[in-house]
Amino acid sequence: MDELAAEVGVDPLEIREKNWIKHEEFPFTTVAGLEYDSGNYEVATEMAKANFGYDELRAEQKRRQESGDPVQLGIGVSTFTEMCGWAPSKLIGSLSYGAGGWEHATIRMTGTGKVEVITGASAHGQGQETAFSQIVADRLGVPFEDVEVLHGDTQVAAKGFDTYGSRSLVVGGEAVVRAVDKVIEKAKPIAAHLLEANIDDLEYSSGRFKVRGTDQGIGIGELAGAVFAAHDLPDGVEATLDSDATFDPDSLSYPHGRHLCAVEVDTETGRVKMRKYTCVDDIGNVINPMIVAGQVHGGLVQGIAQALWEEAVYDEAGTLVSASFVDYLVPTAADTISFDVDHNTTPSTTNTLGTKGVGEAGTIASTPAVVNAVVDAVRQFGVSDIMMPCTPERVWKAIHAGDAGGTDRTEGADQ
Amino acid sequence: MIPAQFEYLAPTSVEEALAALAEHGDEAKVLAGGQSLLPVLRMRLNAPELIVDIGGIDSLRNMVDEGDSVLIGAMVPYYQILADPSVQTGLGLLHKAITAVADPQIRHRGTLGGALVHADPAGDCGAAILALDAELVISGQGGERTVAAADFFEDLFATAVGEDELLTHIRVPKLDGWGSHYEKFVRLAQQWPIVAVAAAVKTDGGTISEARIGLVNMGSTALRATATEQALVGQEATEAGVREACDLAAEGTSPPADLNGDADYRKHLATVLTRRAVLAAAGN
Repeated sequence: MDELAAEVGVDPLEIREKNWIKHEEFPFTTVAGLEYDSGNYEVATEMAKANFGYDELRAEQKRRQESGDPVQLGIGVSTFTEMCGWAPSKLIGSLSYGAGGWEHATIRMTGTGKVEVITGASAHGQGQETAFSQIVADRLGVPFEDVEVLHGDTQVAAKGFDTYGSRSLVVGGEAVVRAVDKVIEKAKPIAAHLLEANIDDLEYSSGRFKVRGTDQGIGIGELAGAVFAAHDLPDGVEATLDSDATFDPDSLSYPHGRHLCAVEVDTETGRVKMRKYTCVDDIGNVINPMIVAGQVHGGLVQGIAQALWEEAVYDEAGTLVSASFVDYLVPTAADTISFDVDHNTTPSTTNTLGTKGVGEAGTIASTPAVVNAVVDAVRQFGVSDIMMPCTPERVWKAIHAGDAGGTDRTEGADQ
Repeated sequence: MIPAQFEYLAPTSVEEALAALAEHGDEAKVLAGGQSLLPVLRMRLNAPELIVDIGGIDSLRNMVDEGDSVLIGAMVPYYQILADPSVQTGLGLLHKAITAVADPQIRHRGTLGGALVHADPAGDCGAAILALDAELVISGQGGERTVAAADFFEDLFATAVGEDELLTHIRVPKLDGWGSHYEKFVRLAQQWPIVAVAAAVKTDGGTISEARIGLVNMGSTALRATATEQALVGQEATEAGVREACDLAAEGTSPPADLNGDADYRKHLATVLTRRAVLAAAGN
């Protein structure tokens, strides 16, 4: 896209814009038959440009070019739309996968009123335990601390398709929602019985069944205790509130993001220094902003590391040369900058939570955003591509590959 | 990994240490702060029969302000050197180079003496010691001798300290009225320098009257950029004034090639970093 933009002399953001689905066109069915759920690329782009200071940085870039500053500024654009919420089982089947794409959840109501949630979307550090507990606490109206999420061991969580493809919340979280709703449905006739009220007069809110127009009611925890004791249940009602649910989405969700990166390139050494990184991701509704920020930050660093540092190098004999952390460079907080992370939300229509998935957003966008920024800084020297990672040596050699006169600067240039 | 088996000796005097070294020759290794030796042992790059831990020798832990110079005991850890007022005021270049060594934990345990005898050409301090014309005090069974920094570094990981000898002190002359700067080029905050330049410059009315420049990782030892040092004399301490002289910085060097850059790139870096170090040292 940047090549084309440079060729026709159009701003790289503007050329991308021409291909975007307009906000009013959602839901949008592509010629391939996939339905894009929701999005507002226009607003997200404007937000990103404003947060980034796009016009100001472009002006600074121009000033540095005109003055021949040894440190040149580059701006990288990366806009993406991702397919998340894997997956509709019908779709997976049409792609000849053996398995389905649904996710499973079980809610177990213990006699003490504590809630156990079993999910097949097994977390390994993403924070599903927290997010799923929030969903249950909110929907069932119980204290967050009373919810425990169990996963991983197939003796506990026997069914499900795991965590991948930014699906856990979108598919697994929705399965939890549906299992909670089943618990409430199961509890309702028992509540009516215990409250000696007509079932149609009951309403459920904040963890309590209440008889409309009275102060009578019973909390879900107390009710769970009564079910466990089973001393006084309606005839024919099982002594359990435990419920299972399986959610199989009708279509995928389509999160999107606008990532803008500014780098300073020291043209004398080739060293790339991060100057500013701004992203606006539309991941639908956010359950836990801190976890989302953590996922975005971690993804950004992983992607930036690929652009600037990490590389598995093999010699001609096939031996891994970058076999220790002395040679395989992994950045720390000291090597990155403070990220400017923001969201524009258009809720997904594929699930009641309105979530779209966030796990991969940072890694998808940041690598091209950084490399595009580096190339943007040195395009004026005739450079149109630099191999990743953009090491100082590679950047410097790319800049000087076109030098006239055959000075020693051009020797060994790989561009 | 864990190191291969070794005998351990903790002498409390230099004489005792020297006796052990004389007896065991190249089968013995001296342990100072351990920040280079322990990784070497753990990765089994070396498996000495005897470790002579000189941490218990009090006479190696002193620092003395001698007026024109500062005497630094070989077992004085970096952080203590950094905190010393005579170093802060009199040894600006060494202070800057040590500040660039690794991280606070390593600067807490690591010693200047240990690093110099280890003689890694990518170490931060060798070039500064060289540029400052320091003296290295070495003890052996036959007594004490003093070696100039210029004669100290012999090759990759090899110094003038013999198998049966011990570096006991480093004497670093003060450079009063000089400016200094240590310019370190790395890709990550925690990394050995790809190339670094230690520069001390004396100016007189905006003109450079004397310059000392040490190069890090530009060969098998720390090096002096003598051609640049000579060419800088009489030049104006400005970008244009020093450029030509600094372009000579890599003259006569044979830098290594690795994933961070080939030899030509390092030679180019040396010229740029030298220019920046000289200008910063001159206050420009």
